[in-house]
Amino acid sequence: MNNKSIFLSRRKFLQGTGVSLALPWLETFAVGKPSPDETAKRFVSIYHPDGVGLPLKKDPAWKDWSWFPRGGEKDFQLTKVLDVLEPLRSEITIYSGLSHPVARKVHGHSNADQYLTGAPIGGHGPYQNTISVDQVYAEKAGAFTRHASLVMSTNGGVGGPRGAQTQSFNREGRPIPAMNKPKQIFDMLFVTSGKDAAARLARSKSALDLLIENTRSLGRELSKRDQDTLNQYLDAVRDTELKLVKAQKWIDTPIPKVDTRNLHLDAEPKEARLYFQTMYELIYLAFLSDSTRVATFQLGRENGEGPHDLLSRAVGLGAAHHLTHEVKKPDGWKNLGTYNRYQAEEFGRFVQKLKDTPEPNGKGNMLDNTFAMHGSASSSFHLSRNYPIISAGGKNLGFNNGRYLKFGKGNEDNQAGAGIDTDAGWQGKVEVEELPLTKLFVTILQRLGVETDSFGGLTGSLNI
Amino acid sequence: MPKLAKNEKPPMKPLKIAFLLVLVSVSTILSADGQVIPISLEAAKEQGRTKSRFLKETKVTAKATDEIPKANLAYFQKSVMPILKKSCINCHGPKKSEGRLRIDQLNPDLLAGPDVERWRELYNAVSNSEMPPENEPGYALAETDRGSMVDWLGEELNKASLIRRNTKDHSSFRRLTKYEYDYALQDLLGLPYSLANKLPPESVTEDGFKNSSELLQISAMQFETYREIALKALKRATVSGDRSPEAVTYIISMEKEMEKAAAKKDTKEAVKGKKNAKSPKNQQQLLDQQTGESIPFPAVKFAPKAGAVVGQTPAVSPVVMVLPSSSELKLDLDRFLPDEGVMRVRIRANRSNMNPDEFASLRLMLSAHTSNDANFSQVISQRDIPVTSSADNPQFIHFDIPLGDIQRNPFRKLTTTYPRRDEFLHIQNVSNASKGEDRLSVLIDYIEISAPFYEQWPPKTHTNIFIESASKSDENIYGREVLNRFLARAWRRPVTSQEVDQFMGLFAKYRPGFSTFEDAMVEVLATALASPEFLYLTQRVSADKSKSASISEVELASRLSVFLWSSIPDEELLKLAGQGKLRKPDVLAGQVKRMLADPRSKRFSQNFVEQWLGLDGLNSVTHIPPPLKDAIQEEPIAFFDEVLRQNRSIMDFIHSDYAVVNEKLAAHYGIPKVYGPHFRKVPIAVQMNRGGILTGAAILAMNSDGKDSNPLKRGVWMLKRILHDPPPPPPPNVPEVDLTNPEILKMTLKERIADHRNKAACISCHAKIDPWGIAFENYDALGIFRASINNKPVDATSELFNHQKLAGIDGVKRYILTDRQDQFARAMVHKLTAYALGRPLSFADRADIDGLTSQLRQHDDKLGDLISLIIGSNLFNSK
Repeated sequence: MNNKSIFLSRRKFLQGTGVSLALPWLETFAVGKPSPDETAKRFVSIYHPDGVGLPLKKDPAWKDWSWFPRGGEKDFQLTKVLDVLEPLRSEITIYSGLSHPVARKVHGHSNADQYLTGAPIGGHGPYQNTISVDQVYAEKAGAFTRHASLVMSTNGGVGGPRGAQTQSFNREGRPIPAMNKPKQIFDMLFVTSGKDAAARLARSKSALDLLIENTRSLGRELSKRDQDTLNQYLDAVRDTELKLVKAQKWIDTPIPKVDTRNLHLDAEPKEARLYFQTMYELIYLAFLSDSTRVATFQLGRENGEGPHDLLSRAVGLGAAHHLTHEVKKPDGWKNLGTYNRYQAEEFGRFVQKLKDTPEPNGKGNMLDNTFAMHGSASSSFHLSRNYPIISAGGKNLGFNNGRYLKFGKGNEDNQAGAGIDTDAGWQGKVEVEELPLTKLFVTILQRLGVETDSFGGLTGSLNI
Repeated sequence: MPKLAKNEKPPMKPLKIAFLLVLVSVSTILSADGQVIPISLEAAKEQGRTKSRFLKETKVTAKATDEIPKANLAYFQKSVMPILKKSCINCHGPKKSEGRLRIDQLNPDLLAGPDVERWRELYNAVSNSEMPPENEPGYALAETDRGSMVDWLGEELNKASLIRRNTKDHSSFRRLTKYEYDYALQDLLGLPYSLANKLPPESVTEDGFKNSSELLQISAMQFETYREIALKALKRATVSGDRSPEAVTYIISMEKEMEKAAAKKDTKEAVKGKKNAKSPKNQQQLLDQQTGESIPFPAVKFAPKAGAVVGQTPAVSPVVMVLPSSSELKLDLDRFLPDEGVMRVRIRANRSNMNPDEFASLRLMLSAHTSNDANFSQVISQRDIPVTSSADNPQFIHFDIPLGDIQRNPFRKLTTTYPRRDEFLHIQNVSNASKGEDRLSVLIDYIEISAPFYEQWPPKTHTNIFIESASKSDENIYGREVLNRFLARAWRRPVTSQEVDQFMGLFAKYRPGFSTFEDAMVEVLATALASPEFLYLTQRVSADKSKSASISEVELASRLSVFLWSSIPDEELLKLAGQGKLRKPDVLAGQVKRMLADPRSKRFSQNFVEQWLGLDGLNSVTHIPPPLKDAIQEEPIAFFDEVLRQNRSIMDFIHSDYAVVNEKLAAHYGIPKVYGPHFRKVPIAVQMNRGGILTGAAILAMNSDGKDSNPLKRGVWMLKRILHDPPPPPPPNVPEVDLTNPEILKMTLKERIADHRNKAACISCHAKIDPWGIAFENYDALGIFRASINNKPVDATSELFNHQKLAGIDGVKRYILTDRQDQFARAMVHKLTAYALGRPLSFADRADIDGLTSQLRQHDDKLGDLISLIIGSNLFNSK
């Protein structure tokens, strides 16, 4: 018997009375008191639509152009798709066998919507999403920075239900519009003065003053017992006041000056390389200046036309989405692999830059304090299983890299759904066992300092 | 509603007494051939009533479960202490104190002593067989010893928690719940749709209530959400400018559509639009009823008509859109609907026949299909509207949809055409017509769609706030007028001039930042709606010492409206309270009658029944298809509403010889000849195995595991919700029934439960719970009656802790009606009073609850009377 059980039973008791429902709301509000010695912990997620190349073993393209590495946890070999990351081998981890259980039989075209949320959005009818993992962390990390999160995508906006153009969803499950114009993003981060915000703040401040006065005079007319209840309201108002003070502080704090040499603020997706690098550079600068600690960037939109389809021009190829439909044509696997390789290359460049930059207020380099995730929610053609995910960094958060981690059972060689280019794939029976991706999310959140043991209604983390 | 003087005892009808005398304490009667035939459940009601202690005695002491518990120290000394000495104290005592635990020093009085948490640990460790350790055979506990220790501890812990909950003095001072806040805002501002979805859900008390002061907390985030919602709602209610903004209006005349399609004869569409004179008249198509010509509805994009006026009544046309049952008219409205404002959809429709057994209603849906798999569709109408008119006199049906609140096509403003920008409005015919050449269709000849739609300019919601006044030109005077009126309505009391001054001060600060008076004032009013005077149900300390225990008249007005309307009082209630007349018995009785007759009282039936029965449990149930689920969820509410409005006995909740169902549910239950979506009272035969709420599919389905019944859940539900005798919560880490054990797999469900129950740690609770649940075994996970499971006959007989045998659900009803009427009546009084007061009841309230129960029983257990009794009670009028 130890003291733990007391806490367990208390917790049980709280759950029994239903208080647990109210707790997330109480907890999500943290008044920012950045302790000076705390190093920034960062999270960034890069999403690419259309999945990756997954040829069958017997296919001659398998050796070079299958996305997943071969070999074991430490001695894995990267194929031509990911070999650009070889110099960063000790900084990255590659995952297989993870997916969201509720999405395994949903058409891959709706995958961007659920990648960071794990919500059961289904294929048609009414649409309801839930909060994404980046926003769960932003609720905490946002207390320390000017912007709670930086949400970007090549297409911008929210997209349509089941065709999201953002990875980020708020607590109500509503999509957070993504920014896609480098100039606007730069202005938001490093130029905007916040004149309107100051006026709004001043109004709020007067309103709160009045409410406090009004509440006090009500309190004088209540019994002692009822005054205690009313004090809870007063506390809520005072916490809000503190938040205003913090917001005011940001208005008064000069906007950081950053090195703009690598920025091409007029770049557009059709100038793919320049655009990618500029967007990554903006994330880098936002992190470096501690303007935010959370960023998401979606490289396109699942299916259909749009600016993202032009990104594959960077490697001299045609429309990006089409590459996945043409894997069986001559050089098909190679072309898709080449495009994925290019995505990995740009991600690697960003990771390298974080690694080369010492942490401004802490130990090690910026990468050590950043969990950077790169992935898609489709492995093969429209198949919402076995998500191809790479993560980088996070050493100081407790992540050990240089590993290829295989989860689940029955698909050790990543052949389930391989070689398919018809819809028989995503509609097919789930034959192999995979772990919920939410387990990785829980691990990430815990290591970023969010106290939780579940995400999206699923409990458990990964022991990695 | 009868008069409600206290302690009034209506004289019993002499006839009834004679009848009862025959039946007293005989639960069965002998038939001619000597066979024992159980009496009917209706007769059991009469018989059980004679046993009521509440009717016999003037002062009734509460039933055993409601007495103030006392610690059972005698049992501890006699039976538990010897076991502790033998198996525990050597390691947790004076010699060694492992885990810093000295069991010998723990106070065995868990109710008054300080060691409850330590005892709870002990209880967990012993009931889970963690202690004594397996590797200490010398201290091993015999199963019977473990059993008596666990039983004693379980009971004492339960009593301790009862004491902790019930001795605390609770106040009715609380904030409004999410749903009350939502209704309050709607009623205050005159906006007919939900506004508060952004607020978090409420926590639920152990009794199942969401409106209980003990759990209604507030966080900073919630406070900010209140401000945000209030501002948004006020902006919706008010307008600016002298004229209404230009509306986007679509006019769709079926006659014109047919003409247009016919004019395309020579084009490609002519193939599609070919006139087809022979097509049956119940196909979906455009039909000229005079010529009999018909064509499919053309797939066209509709464009708004510039300068069109809504609310027209063109001559009725013979050309109609035929909408057969379960079909829909899908209109491509392109990309022109505005972002905000109300969209009015006005449809002229009639029925194709007047067959009284066939019903049809219209429903609206909005959808978009932006690229191949990116799509959505959502029902946007709040309720289906029935089509009742004949062809001679078609009716206009209209829907008002808040465009800012529904899922829209996010691409509608693109300058390019892909992803697609169109939004589709679907008009659906929801109907029960299914067979026959002449089956019911809905015929539509004319449709208007317009947004933003205003009934008048400026709208009433606006002039309700920005009232007409001679002093409109003087912002200082007019501002005070607006504030005076608004604050008094929102805060449900007269306001002082100092309070108005405060808000005028805020207005003065805001005014320079806004171009109009109204814009600045709206921000000020939003602040008033974030004040505790709006958000909380206040009860002020009275300056007059003689009245210090009572709430004031205006507070009574709020308590009444929150009880019966889940919202704030209207002007009539406030006026009467302001004049000090509300508490006069005849005025109060009149107001209660008026309030129950008002449609807002439906909220009472809904919210009380949902919380009383725990209908939220249905939300997590996935094994019922949605249309049936809606009907299942509605049934107990409709049943309660029927009992309330007919002022029937609450014993009808246990059993009734009628059901309140609609067609969907009647089909589910096998009740014939019920047509249409509305709920109504229908007589039922005994062999239908329904009646009352216990056998409603809602209760049975939510207390199942998705595939089969769950007797444990059903038993717990009975004890908590109906008998108000909740079992203690299960100990942590209860062992799951091991389904990998082949021996267990062989057992029937009842045997499995018995096997689980036979474990020492589980037996005492389960003996109280399981028999109630097993008696429901004749009902499956959907609430369908069954006589056999896997070809074996259902065994729904069980025996209660007190050796009372229950023969299935009939036995449960019979037993409650014969022997436990008082307990159920008191439970009902307890639940309704806790809900009415918005606070947990404590031991101090026992006498009042007993008194109310006594009165209820004297009023023949009538539900409507009970509402009035509660409202007239001291409890309801006290702080």
